[in-house]
Amino acid sequence: MRRLVITGMGAICALGHDAPSVWKAMTEGRSGIGPIHHIQPGQLRNGGIAAEVSDYDPAHFFDEARRALLDPFSEYALIAANEAIRQSGIRFDGEAGARTAVVIGTGAGGETTRDDLYERLYGEHQGRFHPLGIVRMMTNAPASQVSMVHGITGPSFVVASACASSNHAFAQAAMMIRSGLVDAAVVGGTEACITLGTLRAWEAMRVLAPDTCRPFSQGRRGLVLGEGAGMYVLETLESAQKRGAEILCELVGTGMSSDAGDIAAPSDIGAAAAMNAALRDGGMSPDEVDYVNAHGTGTVANDSTETRAIHRVFGAHARELAVTSTKPMHGHALGAGGALELVAAIGAIHDGIVPPTLNYLGPDPACDLDYVPNVAREMTVHAAISNSFAFGGLNAVVAIRRAP
Amino acid sequence: MSTVQQETFDIIAKQAKIELDTIKPESTLKDLGIASLDAIEVIFDIEEHFNINLPNEDTDLENGTVGQLVAAIERQLAQKTAE
Repeated sequence: MRRLVITGMGAICALGHDAPSVWKAMTEGRSGIGPIHHIQPGQLRNGGIAAEVSDYDPAHFFDEARRALLDPFSEYALIAANEAIRQSGIRFDGEAGARTAVVIGTGAGGETTRDDLYERLYGEHQGRFHPLGIVRMMTNAPASQVSMVHGITGPSFVVASACASSNHAFAQAAMMIRSGLVDAAVVGGTEACITLGTLRAWEAMRVLAPDTCRPFSQGRRGLVLGEGAGMYVLETLESAQKRGAEILCELVGTGMSSDAGDIAAPSDIGAAAAMNAALRDGGMSPDEVDYVNAHGTGTVANDSTETRAIHRVFGAHARELAVTSTKPMHGHALGAGGALELVAAIGAIHDGIVPPTLNYLGPDPACDLDYVPNVAREMTVHAAISNSFAFGGLNAVVAIRRAP
Repeated sequence: MSTVQQETFDIIAKQAKIELDTIKPESTLKDLGIASLDAIEVIFDIEEHFNINLPNEDTDLENGTVGQLVAAIERQLAQKTAE
């Protein structure tokens, strides 16, 4: 079977506008959560906090002609993809363009564009819509933009599985390369969901924390939304070695499962099935894993369920694992979640630092693992898994290990 | 039984499809078999019915009792009248 490696990484989120800044903030335990800037206070019932991309001007990244086509969720995907492709040094000219895929996870789509259009229609009763509304908000827009800007002519599409979208995208890309359909993929996830309409809908579900996000901790009160994108260049070990590219890590396996149970409540059996599938796919034994980047949303239900699932999969070895959630730093970026969190897992393997679980107040009896509370830890990480579990009971896990 | 309590019990019984007399002030929504999104829908129906907002801290869906929920509704209604 073809071995897969990651040779480029790009990211943008509340922690910074490129992967090195995001990773540095993670090792320093900085949080990007704060009051929401572009929504008037008083329009939200509950806290009004999120992890927004800040100090951001799209004009710094795109010319006017391109910008006219882009909702923020495509901007973020392009910024991260450009960074990953630049770092990788991969080229798409000639046959290579047709032998490359673009697979991007996203949960919501072009929410800013949608909100603005509907505000005009229902709020201001204006009949005239901007003609580029559809090309900005269509859910496939980020994949189309990445393929257009980089001349990638192989299969390109978006994968939607809410909070697990990124990890489902990695799984699709891995399968396509292993099967020989393509030789490389630009893959990751993007989300720009911090709009009034989206936030009000999340508030109504009563899962947003009014104070902050504190995964696995006593006193946790829910999740805090985030936004951004993580994008990667995935290719075969052989092609990376032939190009002399720096290998950031090996993507060993991916695993997917569905709870087929409740539409919202998580299941430890479903979550464990996805982790087991990822390990099995990579021919990895649970004992090889040193670090779990958890889904760790900060809701009462997710964190205790995920803890039970980790016990199921790892048995006694669960006690040896470092398990952290980086969501208190970059927020819950839904479809971009797994892709942003892979920055943490790759960083841990590459630099020997496990980013902490911030805002931890003390143990909850239902969450009894080593969550590396509040301060990063220096430790050797040979292999890691990254968990994503979506509303709707859709689970996807990615397993990586040190570069061969 | 106060009118607010009566109306709240009616809403719970209807949403949960249970007999009215199974609901006691000391029951939790969980005791009544109302969990997860169903519980959140009950809260929504109550908010719509009384035209109030119930903050998250007043709606402990794990351990809060129906009696506590009625008290929270009455607090919000009193606040609304005062405004």
